[in-house]
Amino acid sequence: MDITLQAPELHYFTLSQRQQQSHEQENMQNPNHQQQQHQLAVDSGGDPSASGKWAEKLLRECAKAISEKDSGKIHHFLWMLNELASPYGDCDQKLAYYFLQAFFCKATESGERCYKTLISVAEKSHSFESARKVTLKFQEVSPWTTFGHVASNGAILEAMEGETKLHIIDISSTYCTQWPMFLEALATRNDETPHLRLTVVVTAGAGGSVVKEIGQRMEKFARLMGVPFEFNVVSGFSRLGELKEEDFGLRDDEAVTVNCIGALRRVGVIERSEFLRMLHRLRPKVVTVVEEEADFTSNMDEFTICSEECLRFYSIFFEMLEESFVPTSNERLMLERECSRSILSVLACEGDGGGECERREKGSQWCERLAGDFSPMSFNDDAVDDVKALLRRYRAGWSLLPAQGDASGLYLTWKDEPVVWASAWKPS
Amino acid sequence: MHGTLELIHPTEQWDCTPINFPVTHHGSERQFAGAELSDFMEHVARQLSDNSENTADGFSMESLSNEAFTPSTGEYRPRKLARTYHHTSGSDGCGHAEDLQWINGTQSENVSTMTYKNNRSNDHDQQGLSLITLLMECAVAISVDNLEEANKMLLELTQVASPYSPSCAERVVAYFSKAMARRVMSSCLGGTMLSPLVQSKSILSAFQAFNTISPFIKFAHFTANQAILEAFHQRDRVHIIDLDIMQGLQWPALFHILATRPDGPPHLRMTAMGTSYEALEETGRQLSGFARRLGLSFEFHPVARKPGEVDPAMIQTRRGETVAVHWLQHSLYDAIGADWKTMRLLELIAPRVITLVEQEMPHSGPFLDRFIGSLHYYSTIFDSLGATLGCEDVNRHKVEHWLLSREISNMLAVGGPTRSGDERFGSWRTELMRRGFAQVPMSGNSMTQAQLILNMFPPTHGYTIQQGDGTLRLGWKENGLYTASAWTSPRLLR
Repeated sequence: MDITLQAPELHYFTLSQRQQQSHEQENMQNPNHQQQQHQLAVDSGGDPSASGKWAEKLLRECAKAISEKDSGKIHHFLWMLNELASPYGDCDQKLAYYFLQAFFCKATESGERCYKTLISVAEKSHSFESARKVTLKFQEVSPWTTFGHVASNGAILEAMEGETKLHIIDISSTYCTQWPMFLEALATRNDETPHLRLTVVVTAGAGGSVVKEIGQRMEKFARLMGVPFEFNVVSGFSRLGELKEEDFGLRDDEAVTVNCIGALRRVGVIERSEFLRMLHRLRPKVVTVVEEEADFTSNMDEFTICSEECLRFYSIFFEMLEESFVPTSNERLMLERECSRSILSVLACEGDGGGECERREKGSQWCERLAGDFSPMSFNDDAVDDVKALLRRYRAGWSLLPAQGDASGLYLTWKDEPVVWASAWKPS
Repeated sequence: MHGTLELIHPTEQWDCTPINFPVTHHGSERQFAGAELSDFMEHVARQLSDNSENTADGFSMESLSNEAFTPSTGEYRPRKLARTYHHTSGSDGCGHAEDLQWINGTQSENVSTMTYKNNRSNDHDQQGLSLITLLMECAVAISVDNLEEANKMLLELTQVASPYSPSCAERVVAYFSKAMARRVMSSCLGGTMLSPLVQSKSILSAFQAFNTISPFIKFAHFTANQAILEAFHQRDRVHIIDLDIMQGLQWPALFHILATRPDGPPHLRMTAMGTSYEALEETGRQLSGFARRLGLSFEFHPVARKPGEVDPAMIQTRRGETVAVHWLQHSLYDAIGADWKTMRLLELIAPRVITLVEQEMPHSGPFLDRFIGSLHYYSTIFDSLGATLGCEDVNRHKVEHWLLSREISNMLAVGGPTRSGDERFGSWRTELMRRGFAQVPMSGNSMTQAQLILNMFPPTHGYTIQQGDGTLRLGWKENGLYTASAWTSPRLLR
């Protein structure tokens, strides 16, 4: 017989000694007792996964049990999830697997350590080539990231009309895949091609060699396009919130753009207002903001609500991934693993680690924040046409939705669910 | 339905005197060009079992404290420090796994002896093999209850290994590390006495896919059917007891041959045991329909119980009927229940023939034994699938994920594949012999059946049949995987 491990003393999580003893006694006397244990969440006899969407139900119950600190139930649901979950199966199984990990870390208060280990493993094992490959493949099969690129480029081109010296400050995580088409547009649009200075903001994790390679590729491409080009890197800090105006080395004669693709969510929640004010002080002609449509911020301290939102968002994302890639895609697997780190950090880590958690906010929430220092710019017809043309290149299911009411900007929708939000702003 | 394969009518009397066959090898004589995971595995596995006694002492028995997973990678106490893996995402992925750096000086000697023979240039294989090494370290950690260290290694393994890799080794690691992560989690949860959940539909679908892409199931079915046919020679009332019928894929072929027997069809009764009454009824409907179309007189008795849990009175044998009991061993779920009770049932039933197909790996015993045995076993199967199917093949993925991965999870689970802590026999063949059952050597006709099946799978493949000790063993590249044998009850010999 194997050594059966004593469950370690887990914070509010173990069955009490007495409960545990009585469990074992019952099991010995009545082997059928085991069956009864599963009645809590089982629909059809013996195979709870037979009914669709079982993961959501189970995860919801588990989140509830965690917030209620009901160790018996937590135990039970984690056990069931552990039985059914798999990172290589269908959507339900994947959600179950990654959320199980987050819930387990939450219940055992080991989120931070686990996250740190995962990050260090990811950094070790991902080369520039592999990360770029994943990004490119994702862009090939889904407009999730290209939508933001095309919309932003449209807004930037409009705002930069007539300018001769452009300075784009790029705070994004898509390995500069946005810029080749922008360079192309610059080269073909004007009689006199403006000079472009691209400053890429890199937080500590990305790794110096990665950025160097990116820079070299960009320079090569710019040469090819005949665009006078300069590539700068701003690095050496650990949080976006640490950035200051001086870091960008602004010059008097240049027109500044700040391009924030998935960047604002990487700013610590309490630092967001100041960050936007800092951007304002750069006196940009335009600020483009692209974010994923989810709210992990307003519910930061409410575990069940935050879990629910996480579940909602990542269900959509995983389903989208499943329908966009082939079943045996390594690229999709890497994207899913990236999600698992996000889910873990949002649900199992305290606070937001100065932005590491990437606490997303919805478009309407960002609009509120930006309204203080900026006023919205609408996307012109050319930009909207470009986006529509882009969406036509992909499978059915994707659509555009202009923002309504107080919010401004453009949403990308997947099966009528808004998933990505793109907007443009000028300082007010 | 196995329409194409015909069982062979026995022409001679059924002979059950045991004969010791010399071990011979049949099947394709392919020179394999190295780079076979299973080869490497054997080498390393031997190393590991030699070392395991020593290394076990080397680990301090860290008792788990409140800090279940104490601080970060800084205090990681590895016996080696894995350098960068370059994760290859896609078939033309670049980068290569750098060599593992060994912190402990003595370990480096082991590394050099473990250095994989052919030193293939394939980056994927290289990465796969590095991962295997880490996997084995992890297994040793689990075997000495060092869950903390195991968990750290698993965090790495589960983030790096891909089940879609062109490298079979990496695929194996992906599923093994998933299984080990599941085990570590269930150890922490402590719920080892709860019965596992069975996802029947997906298992059955994957089982069918396995039957299509691989000869192992057909081998089991057809060699067993042949032995049963021979036992039923010149008998008019026959009764088959299938201890775990699933969808009964095996039986239509036998029905067909019985229905067209030169001395006329027998009256056939079937007692089918299985997990769910619904599934059994469905199988019964299918088989009854098929029998009816053949004009075969047929009775079907479903028993939704495990052989080790059933009241023997529920298995009714009638006077004058010839009984065959059949069992194809697997690790998808606990099909049998308590082994010793099943054995008692067999003794009570006293069948004319028991056809048994066993998986060649230890289903019981300490974790590390099961780990090594199943690593070798499944590496072999993964190799065999990888040799014939591309890494994007959906059926291959289905089989690997829904069938093999499930078995691996069960093999590595606390308490082994039964998940119930019941005592398991090391080997059914040994146990049957101990209880006085007499072995019926697999006949020449069974061997012919096996070879016919192999002919259905292109000859460039490395499936091998070994014949020895009255058994037939099908494997890949001479690593035996499934052993078919037949037995008769001691009472009938008098």
